[in-house]
Amino acid sequence: MSHNDAIDERDLANLGQLRDLYAHADPVPAGLGERLKFAITVQALHAEVAELMESALLATRGSETRAQPTRIDSVTFSAPSVNLMVSVSPSESTEGHVRIDGWVTRPEALVEAVMEDRAVTAKTDANGRFVIHDLPHGPIHFVIRVDPSDPKVRPVITPTIEV
Amino acid sequence: MSPTPTAPDGVGTLAGHAFAAYLAGDRQRLSELVDLVTPVLWHAARAQGASSSTCEDAIQTALLQLVDRAETIKEPAAVLGWLIVVVKREIWRLVRGERREIGVEEVPEAPAQQLDPESQSILSERQRLLWQHISSLTPRCQELLRVIAFADKPDYAAIAASLGMPIGSIGPTRGRCLNKLRVSLGSDPGWAV
Repeated sequence: MSHNDAIDERDLANLGQLRDLYAHADPVPAGLGERLKFAITVQALHAEVAELMESALLATRGSETRAQPTRIDSVTFSAPSVNLMVSVSPSESTEGHVRIDGWVTRPEALVEAVMEDRAVTAKTDANGRFVIHDLPHGPIHFVIRVDPSDPKVRPVITPTIEV
Repeated sequence: MSPTPTAPDGVGTLAGHAFAAYLAGDRQRLSELVDLVTPVLWHAARAQGASSSTCEDAIQTALLQLVDRAETIKEPAAVLGWLIVVVKREIWRLVRGERREIGVEEVPEAPAQQLDPESQSILSERQRLLWQHISSLTPRCQELLRVIAFADKPDYAAIAASLGMPIGSIGPTRGRCLNKLRVSLGSDPGWAV
């Protein structure tokens, strides 16, 4: 057994135990990956970063078939060029998923909802409204292009929220 | 995601693929790259002895530089090693309060690895024993083993090079550091059980 021998299973087992030790004693901070991705996206898009203005848990009356009030998360993001408000409620089409109702202060903007493994784009109507019907729970952020036809206009990116 | 030591492609190779795809226009692949490299970069950063917030800042700066300079990176496949080098330089720049980028030659050797008392108290008996053996190695070996422990066998040689270790210090042969750990553990009757 010398340092010139090939790495074998015993060495890999030793390293595996070392990995467990450090992962336990000095773990990667929770949310670090999401914070890094956000910083990168902002830079890569040359984006303007919206501020999270308010976040409220509202209790509203659901459809008449439900006796219990439905909890709806409502969040507002603000940037100099645009505001975005989103409400999150249970999806009607898929159990355990969510529906997002949004309102942007600009008509005909493109709103991209970016999750870990997917991105869904919606266009706002003449009143700035948009709906995304069926998304899983998880971290999400939005990228808003107020003038999709002009590449010189900087997109706006929101901080990540949990839906 | 925990690396699998027997995987044919190491985390560095997978990160290289993701970065190449990003360069070719697949924007979403950058997120995969971040997930792949974050544990290795975290431990390469923390191995320098800096605070958590300094380490986070250094990792973020390295990734932002990668995006910023993406087109000029000559070997996309070697992206993990590139990031490790930049993270180490950035840590030492922050620690010294320098306002300019520092060169690789200005990066000092990593200190002996430390765990704060609170972290030591949550270790199992066996982990405490392993910690004693690790602490008996040179600081350079401690740094190398800490970082490669979060990667896969095919990555060891490239990671060692990015940490400033000479060629042949590990992978595909065991090298002195891994051999010393093996000998140290093997001679401890308390470890064999």
